[in-house]
Parts: sequence; structure tokens; C-alpha cells
Amino acid sequence: MTSTAPTRQYAEPSETPALLLDGITKTYRSKAGTVDALRGVTHQFARGSFTAVMGASGSGKSTLLQCAAGLDRPTTGAVLLGGVGLQDLSEVELTKLRRQQMGFVFQAYNLLPALTVYDNVALPLRLTGRRPRREVVDQVLAQVGLEGKARRRPAELSGGQQQRVAIARALVTKPAVFFADEPTGALDSSTSRQILGLLREATDLAGQTVVMVTHDPVAAGYAERVLFLSDGLVAGSLDRGTPQQIAAAMSELEER
Amino acid sequence: MFFLSRQTVRRHLPLYAGSFVALAVGVFLLGLAATATAATLAYHGPIADSVLVDLPGGGGVQPHQQRVTLSGADTAGLQVVLSLMAAMSGFITIFVIASTFAFAVAARRREVGLLRLIGATPRQVRRMVLGEALVVALVASLTGAALAQLATPLLLAKASYTDLAPVKLESASPWLPLGITVAIGLVVALLGARSAARRAGRVGPVEALREAALEPPRIGVVRIGFGLVFLAAAIVMLALIRPGTGEAVMPLALFSPMILVISLTLLGPLVVPWIGRLWAIPLVRWTSASGRLARSNVVAAPRRSASLAAPILSISAIAGSMVLSLSFAADASSAIVRDMLTAPIVITAPENAGKLAERIRSTPGVAEADGGISVGIIRADGDSAQLADGEGIDPAVAARTRNLTPITGDLAQLTGKTVAIGKEMASSAHYRVGSEIPVVFADRTKDSLRVVAIVPDGSGVNGPLLVPVELARQHAPQAEPEHWFIQPVDGVEPAQLMGALDRQLTGTGAQVVRAEEWERQQDDGVRKSNQLGLIMLIGPAALYSGIAIANTLLMGSLQRRHEFVTSRLLGATPAQIRRMVLWESTLVGAVALTLGTAITVTAAVLLRHAMTVGMTQVPMTVPWGTLLGIAAVCMVLAVGSALVPTGFILRRSHPSGAVE
Repeated sequence: MTSTAPTRQYAEPSETPALLLDGITKTYRSKAGTVDALRGVTHQFARGSFTAVMGASGSGKSTLLQCAAGLDRPTTGAVLLGGVGLQDLSEVELTKLRRQQMGFVFQAYNLLPALTVYDNVALPLRLTGRRPRREVVDQVLAQVGLEGKARRRPAELSGGQQQRVAIARALVTKPAVFFADEPTGALDSSTSRQILGLLREATDLAGQTVVMVTHDPVAAGYAERVLFLSDGLVAGSLDRGTPQQIAAAMSELEER
Repeated sequence: MFFLSRQTVRRHLPLYAGSFVALAVGVFLLGLAATATAATLAYHGPIADSVLVDLPGGGGVQPHQQRVTLSGADTAGLQVVLSLMAAMSGFITIFVIASTFAFAVAARRREVGLLRLIGATPRQVRRMVLGEALVVALVASLTGAALAQLATPLLLAKASYTDLAPVKLESASPWLPLGITVAIGLVVALLGARSAARRAGRVGPVEALREAALEPPRIGVVRIGFGLVFLAAAIVMLALIRPGTGEAVMPLALFSPMILVISLTLLGPLVVPWIGRLWAIPLVRWTSASGRLARSNVVAAPRRSASLAAPILSISAIAGSMVLSLSFAADASSAIVRDMLTAPIVITAPENAGKLAERIRSTPGVAEADGGISVGIIRADGDSAQLADGEGIDPAVAARTRNLTPITGDLAQLTGKTVAIGKEMASSAHYRVGSEIPVVFADRTKDSLRVVAIVPDGSGVNGPLLVPVELARQHAPQAEPEHWFIQPVDGVEPAQLMGALDRQLTGTGAQVVRAEEWERQQDDGVRKSNQLGLIMLIGPAALYSGIAIANTLLMGSLQRRHEFVTSRLLGATPAQIRRMVLWESTLVGAVALTLGTAITVTAAVLLRHAMTVGMTQVPMTVPWGTLLGIAAVCMVLAVGSALVPTGFILRRSHPSGAVE
């Protein structure tokens, strides 16, 4: 395991990382006491990289994703997306940044059941106040292999097809960063392969950055780098690992 | 965002069906009140039957003329009832729309979170919810208005020739009233949807990733603040229901329950769990798990319990206090009749009985026969003129059959152009002994009367303006007394005299009755004319609240599909779940009815005290049948509309559905 413990190295100014986490911590307070979900995570995600975040349940991986995407505010530390500090933005500015720069894919497909496939994909464009161009939407639908399904509603599609709609919706705004939380969690292995292939394409062809939380070593195998999280800290990382290596690293981490 | 609103409404049709029905019925009732009011405004009556009165003006009012109908056949009574009906419908509509929209938004918390996640700003989410409200409101308002237009002739036919409007009413042009109604419907819906929209705007994007939508445990400070303000207003209004407030006690007693309902609905999440806990004590003791579960559900979800209780509370408090207050008011007026009338025998004369005076007076044993002649007198103030019932009396005779001891002044001076007036009119128009009142008599002669005495109010026995009998005769030469109060000679038994009078008056159609019997007839008359107003007011409101109760409970139960299915998975039998829902809705119904009863009793008892202070022998009539009926209907609706959807869910789903 090539261990790169938390470092504070910054890239040269010419190469601003797509996403930079600078010492973020997250503490939840409740009547029962305080829980430190993140205890100081520093990491930079280079442009066009595909990173998988792995860890046991409660290791803080979902919290990491939510803080990185600006859905939750870290207790301390900073998140910089394309050089912009999320902590300085208002709710509306954050929302606008989210719809222009970020795409989301989750385990639950999160489509609006009321809208057709076409309208679901076009929705982020409409939210910006622009009238979506037909060719743009059709092109993304073709990209995820859903030509001819534009008029269907989510309930009429299979799970894999719904997930591809969700990816098309994330692709349509050409976001800088994709956030994926267990995107293949509810899918069979062949459908999973197609979905992960689409994410891989986004980084390879369009130079987009993907941050994916998963517990599946096979899914993590699609990433260039796997980041291991344990007890709210980065416990290590693995570059270009095979699913077997990743699985071995995971069990090693859990035994520690 | 309007594009999205249209699509989501279509998708969530069941969720919005409740809002649609509620608003359509509300607009229907408002529209009906509006078109009927237009018909009453369009009614002018025959010009020949009215007189123009010059008004001197004063207090910033220019001198002008006012047309007053001499026969008294106008539509003012109906107008009052219609405006009350409109106020009540509008009030309940805002209420119901706000709660149904809140439900519709709460049920879609996750979907709203998703929209926020993919880049909708809070403002866009608010606009989407308002847009949805607009779509629903537009369709519902137009439907309601169309229904109102169809039903208007029916209402006008029913209302014509009644005590409220003793004339024939014709439909007027519907465009203006219905246009206003549709506009009100839209505004009401948007007002009701506004708080729901604001709440939706506060949903964060993280909600899309969370599982169940847990309700926020606390209610806002603003809501508590408003609740307390309304509570204070209601307490002030209730405090004003006391002797000395005068005519205003009745509207105060009718409107303070509404304000209390608003207050308790706002404070509901604080109040409902406490009363729920009290009612749950016997329930927990008598049942096994189901009662305990029901208590936890009611107490642990105070917001849901409160919004389920709200429509039951509102209809039980408003209808209950109206029924009881009107009944107590009728008690007060029959007590007034009893106090005022000292003669033991009353003769009621039909319209064309001919001259009875001689026959009555010549009957042996009759000491005094007091037959007042009614004469229409239009009384002009600075800025208004009203027709009042004048009564021509012989003060010497009347003083021996009725309780006419003046509060101030002297009845012996009631000769020539003079008048004695009731206490209430004196205080509301600021008349004193010696005041000159400009009047117009029914024969269109103008004159001025000097106040010589102020007497106790005795509606039903005395007219509000008492004039010398000669003066009345002069202006109404054809008029005959409608009733005679008979005082027998000392030592003559009333029963004996009644027999003699009966023989004497055979063939005239006049009826000789004991004073008590006459009092009872008067009382029945008051209650009967109250009844029509009550039906017009409570009927539609009850229908509406029924829909609202069913609506909220239906939506509340349908939302709990997952919970029911999970309980099945854990081993609860369908019967156990049904029992739990039964106890739960019973508990919510009991809490709401407790509050409704408290409001009803408070308002009615204060009113009773205010109206009857200083009187003896006030009868107490509690319309138990109607009140218990209201409570029973509320309870049946509450329990039924919780059990029906539960049964539906349980039949249609299997425990395995929980893992889906």
C-alpha cells in the first residue's frame, strides 16, 4: 500500500486543482454528545482525475462527500472548488455554483417522477433560466445510450436506465466535478460496468473530475486513485489498484 | 418554474385533490353568497311603496336624501346572514387551504431537496410551490364559481318570502360577484400556500439524501407570537361580552370563537399533546398495546396531531357556540317578555278580524284591555334613516298591563307629539328626555317628536317607539291591534274571564290564551326564525369542514403507508393496526372536541350573563340534540376518514413491501 499520509502540498498556481479540501473537520452535536465525523481531511483532486473514496460504515466518507459538494458546511477548514472557497458563498451563490460546476449521481436515482426523461435531463438547464437546446439534451441522452427513451417517465425504465438518466442530467451542464455516492449500489454487475464506464468516459474524454464514494472494490477499480478513510481521517491511498488489491487494502485497514 | 408546477400538479393529483375540493367548495359558498347579495342589492321594491327622507348630515356627512321602504319588506336580514356566511366560508377556506398545502409540501420534502440539489435556488422552489397553488386555485375557483352560478336560483327561491327577505328575489348579473369571488379564491389560495412555500424554500439539498422526512420538532417563535396575539384579542373580546356593552354582545359572542380557533390552531402543537395525554389515561388503562401506541403517535407528532385536530376544533367551536349562543339569546328574549308582561291573558287577532275593541271592553270582568296600534315611523338621524316599529298606546291602560315604569321621564306626558323610547335605542342614538326626533310617518307626513320618557327594553311586548294612541290613529287610521293584553277586574279568575272572552269573540278568529302560552309562542317564533339563519350559516360551513376533516385525515393516513407496512413486517396484525388508528383518531377527535366545547361554553355563558343580568326566571334551553349531533358528526368523520384509507392501505399491501 503506497501510503500518502495527509499532506499539505499545494499544486503550482497554473494548475489549480479541481477540488481542494483543506483540513476540514465536521463535528455533529446532539443531546447524546458530540460526534467527530471528520477530524481534519486535506486532499486535492486534480482536474480530470477519477478518485474513489472508501471506508467502513461510519468512517466519514459520506460526510466528506457532502462537505466537498457544499451540501453541508464543515465545522473548520476550507473547501475550494476551482479555486472558489465554498465557505464564503451565500446559499444562493452556492446553489448557482452547484448547478454550473457540480453534477450528482446517487444510489437512489433521484429523478422527478412527474417529468419525462427529456424534462428530467433538461431541468438543470431550465433552472438556470435558459431554454434548453434540444440538440444538447438529445446528445447527452445519446451519450448515455438512451436514444428514443426521451418521452418515457422514470417509472417506465429499469434501474440501470434510470441511473443513466441521472448521469445524463449531471452531464448536461458540463460540470467540472461529479460527485457520486454508491452510484452502482442498487445495480447488477453488468449494468454497474456500463455506469462506471460512463463516469470513466467523463474524465478521459471531457476532462471532468469524478469523486465517488463506494464500498465496492470492483467499482473502486475504475478509479485512478482510491482514498481510504478511517475514523474521519485519510488512512492512506492506492493508485491504479486492481479490485483484488483494493479489497486487500480494505481488509487490512479494517483489521488495524 | 411554472412549467414544473404544471407537471408536478398533474403527477401529484391525489395530493392536490384535497386542496382542490376544499377550495372549490369554499369558492362555491363565497360565490353563492356573492350572487345572492347581488340579487338583494338589485331588489328595490316598488317605488310607490317608499319615501325619500331628507337627512341634514353633520359630522362630515353632506346633507342628502335616502329612500326608505315603508312596508319594511326589504332584504337587510338576508344581507346580514349572507355576509356572515361569506365571512365564515372565507375564514374556513384560508384555514383548510393552508393546512392542505402544508401537507402537500411536507409529503414531498425529499423531492424538494432533490430540486435544491440539482441547482434550484430557495426562491425557485418557493415559486414552484406558489405556481402549483395557482394551478390548483385557478381550476378550483372556476369550478366553484360555475357551481355557484348553477345553484343561485335554487338559493334565491328558498330565501324568497321568508322572514329574512319577505320579497321575491331575482338573479342579478353574475359577472361582477363571481369575478370578485374567483379573485378572492386565488388570493386565499396563494395566502394559504405562502407559508407552505416558505417552508419548502428552507428545505436543504441534503434532504434529498435522507430517508424519512421527520417533522421539525419545535414550532417557530413567530407562530407562537401570533398565537398569543390572537389569544389576547380573543380574551379582550370575551371580556367585552358583559352587561353594558349593548347590542354588540351578540356579534362579539359569534366572532370571538373564530379568533380563539385561530389562536388555538397556531398554538396547537403546544396544547394538543397535553390534552391528548389526559384523554389517553383511560385509553392506556383499558387497552393493551394499541392505546399506548396511539398515545405515543399523538404526543410525539404534535404538529401532525394539531393539524388533524384543527378542522374538527374549528367547526365544533364555531357551530357549537353559534347554536348555544342563539338559544341563550332566545331564552333572554323570552325572559324579557315574561318580565314585561303583567297581564295574565293575551288575545291575538288575525289580520281581518274587524273591530274587536268594543266586544272585548264590553265583556264583564275585563278591567283593562290594552291593544296597541302599530304604525311605521321612519326615524332620521344625521346620516341615516330607518323604519322602526312605532306603537300607539294609551299610557294609563298600558301601565297596568305591562311593566312600563320609566327609567327617566314621565309616561303621563305621552300626549300630543311625543314619544317614549326604549333604553337601548336611547343609548345608541344618544337621546335624552326632551330631545326632538325628526320622523316621517307611514302616510308620508313629516314631523318631529319630543322624547318624554325612556322605558326598559321589551322587544316582543313593546315597540321600540311608543307614541300616544291618538297620534298613531291619526297616521294609520285603518290599523287594528294585533294583540290585546287583558287585565281582569280584581277578584275575577283569569280562567273564568277567558271563557267569557272566548264566547264573546266567537267567529272573529281571535284567540284567547294565557300569557304563559303566548310567551311560549313568541319564543317558538324567535327560535324558528333563528333556525333558517343557522341552517344557512352552519350548513355550508359544516359541509365544508366535513370535507376538510376527511381531507387532512385521508392525506395523513396515506402518508403513513410505509409505517403501516413496516408494522406488519414486525408482526402487527391488520386488526391491531386498525385498532391503533381507531384510538389515535378518537384521541385527536376528543382533544379537538374538548377545546371546541370549552370555547362554546365560555362564549355562550358570557353572552347569557350579559343579556339576562337583573332578570328573574330566565329559562335555560340547551339544544342538546343539535350540539351532540355536531360532536357525533365530527367524531364519525374523524374516525371514519382515518380508518377507511388505513383499511385500503392494509388490503393493498403486503409486509414484504417494507423492504422495497
